[in-house]
Amino acid sequence: MQGIRTGRKVMLTMAALALVATSCGGRSDDNSSKNNDGNKGTSGGTDQPADGVFAVDTSNCPDNGTDGIDGDTITLASSFPQSGITSAFAQISKGYKAYFDKVNADGGVEVAGKKYQIKVVDKDDEYNAAKTATNINELVGPDGSKAFAVFNVVGTANNLAIRESLGDLCVPNLFAATGSPAWGNSEYPWLMGSTLAPYTVEANAFATYLKENLPDAKVAMLVQDDDFGQAYEQGFKMAIEGTDITVTKVSTYMAGTSDVAAQVTDLAASGANVFFNGSTLLACPEGLKQAASANWDREYTFVSGTCISKTLTGLAGENAEGILAVTNTIDPANPAYADSEELAEYLATLEEFGEEGVDPENGIVAYGYTQAAIFVHALEQADELTRSAVLNSIHNLDSEGIGMIVDGVKVKMSADDAFMAENVQMVQYDAAAAHFNNVGEALDYEGKTREISPEDLVDS
Amino acid sequence: MSEPTGLDTEVAIGTPAIGKRPVRPWMRIVFGLVGAGVAVALPYSFNAVDVDVFSSVLYLAIAAMGLNLLTGYNGQISIGHGAFFGVGAFTSAILVSDYGWSIEATIPIAALLAAALGVALGIPALRVKGLYLALITLGLAVLFPVVAKKYVKGPGGASLKILNRQEVSSRYPDLLSDDQYRYFLCLILLVVLFWAAYNLMNSRVGRSMIAVRDQELAASTVGIDVARVKVATFALSAAYAGIAGSLSVMVNKIADASNPLVYFQLSIEFLIAVVIGGAATITGPLLGAIALVWIRRRTDSADDFLPKLLGLENRSEQLAPAMLGGILIIITYVLPDGIVGGLRRLSNRIRSGGSGGGPTFVPAAEPDANSPTPP
Repeated sequence: MQGIRTGRKVMLTMAALALVATSCGGRSDDNSSKNNDGNKGTSGGTDQPADGVFAVDTSNCPDNGTDGIDGDTITLASSFPQSGITSAFAQISKGYKAYFDKVNADGGVEVAGKKYQIKVVDKDDEYNAAKTATNINELVGPDGSKAFAVFNVVGTANNLAIRESLGDLCVPNLFAATGSPAWGNSEYPWLMGSTLAPYTVEANAFATYLKENLPDAKVAMLVQDDDFGQAYEQGFKMAIEGTDITVTKVSTYMAGTSDVAAQVTDLAASGANVFFNGSTLLACPEGLKQAASANWDREYTFVSGTCISKTLTGLAGENAEGILAVTNTIDPANPAYADSEELAEYLATLEEFGEEGVDPENGIVAYGYTQAAIFVHALEQADELTRSAVLNSIHNLDSEGIGMIVDGVKVKMSADDAFMAENVQMVQYDAAAAHFNNVGEALDYEGKTREISPEDLVDS
Repeated sequence: MSEPTGLDTEVAIGTPAIGKRPVRPWMRIVFGLVGAGVAVALPYSFNAVDVDVFSSVLYLAIAAMGLNLLTGYNGQISIGHGAFFGVGAFTSAILVSDYGWSIEATIPIAALLAAALGVALGIPALRVKGLYLALITLGLAVLFPVVAKKYVKGPGGASLKILNRQEVSSRYPDLLSDDQYRYFLCLILLVVLFWAAYNLMNSRVGRSMIAVRDQELAASTVGIDVARVKVATFALSAAYAGIAGSLSVMVNKIADASNPLVYFQLSIEFLIAVVIGGAATITGPLLGAIALVWIRRRTDSADDFLPKLLGLENRSEQLAPAMLGGILIIITYVLPDGIVGGLRRLSNRIRSGGSGGGPTFVPAAEPDANSPTPP
């Protein structure tokens, strides 16, 4: 007995000493690079040929450009909330899976003369960024050999958590499902946003609308207490600089909660005649309801583009009458599109390939469908089926009318513009008919996101 | 040498050491060697992604041990340990990314800050007990991300800190790859911290902690400073969680307050690890952490086939959370005293069967505190 204890003590003392040694060794040097390769894999920025065609720098990439393709199957990996309070976002995947299933059933997507099937593997991350990182590491593999690309990961923090490791492996992280302006950061070319308009574009579009219609507007803002809220607040304040529009009050609410009564009462009492409701999920219809019960007399109400799904706006009912928002995908419930080819194709696809119980009129299903359509289109345009070629192909798209994209909105990026779809269509809700109608023509923000966004939100 | 008494043997506290036989040394040696061998072999037998999962088991076990000291041995309930974990995580992440510290050097600071918060919470906790204390700690877990959100600004304005690969790279790149280095650092800390807990619980201080849990009034009459023991336990427990948080940043390269539920969920996970492992035991938190991660990963992959098995064709129902819940209910039902308690009962039965019966008040050999077993 005694002998064992002594033996263990010796061992543990050694272990403790080793630990002390490591921490002491650690203190003497700073965080400067100990491995020689660059920390971002592509820190040299992007190669830009003279004609403005985008080509990603692959000089630091491992030789894995065709990993994740098994015979004629392209594997995509994804991670998004499938349980918990944010699980509504899982509906996005129903849209893109239906589209991919349709493409597969038609024989697959043709890339450089050969047909491929598309397979998506995904895991639940409960909207927890650390879990997203684990999920994606696992699905992609330590050397990036298990999936060709990462597709439509939901959440800003969640995408940030995988940004560097995927960049190091040169695995494209495509169609990130958030509108963070940070996706414009050219230091991370392997991460690409989706057609969700950057939040700062939304804010700027509202400001532009007010400049024309109510030049001395007094605006009260309700925003979430995070990066999403900041993008709205800073983007809007930047947009109204030098105008007579003023912000009377900005109130924040905690992400994940829906009780915004106190905030809205405050905002209503601030003397504002415009309500910028930047909240999302259940807080959004709740905000509209509270504004009505506070008898807030206002000229205009704007809501976040994340709030215009049939479910959320439907919850607000007649309190949502006349609210304005911007979007770049077609509202499947809007009768103005009833005869359009896009909508017919979308509905037919969902009918045949959609999962049971999925509501095609839900706007985020249409959003997911659209991302898949753009991806397939880009695959067809790619010179060859390699990771860099596909990334370049998406980056060099200049197309209109793919998937459920609204007329006048371009899917277009360029060598120094990493935002996918910046043009937006203003829409207004008709509560009696329960759908949004277009207001005017699409607003042109193509290539402008960077200049209307606070610099520190983009380059970070 | 008296064994720390488990919650399951509360009867035995009144009637100590009935039938207590010395633990068989050869069992300890076997368990210790096998455990140590497996623990050292793991990072060489699996790929980097899996090794990081093992590392996460280790830091989860450290946090669970912290909670075990407080809840298991000292009887104070906390469902807010995620906040201490978060303090550790953000301390390390901020010191490394904003002040250029090495991650290893931030671990003691993380422990100290978490301990300080533990004292701050431990003092008011003297006035409340049981469910009320649980509620206060719950408040802490909910409050933490809100406060962090106010002061932390990461990329794109999100309330998180991200470290790059260099900042958590291996100190001995020729000897150990990054993931192996992280794993061994977690392993060494786990061994040291579990060993410290083991010795503590076999000391006078440890016995006072248990006495305070079992009979607060009696403890004070024999001269134990109840308030001091309680606050000190809170601080120590928080320090363990803080160290775990610090290690989590090393493994995941992120400290994230953008989702307000994350730290609350972590708090619950620590509690689950303690309960299914075996409260008031030394190996319990480790076995609990291994079991929790293992069950969660099993149920996750079951989502691929289970819906079809249940006839839910053409639907991708998320069944993992329900299955995890179901399994936890079954475990608590079958093993009310946790895995360690179950193993002890099993071992008692075998031994008493072999030696011709007798009452089973014999605590079985507990595997060595420094012998992690693989998931």
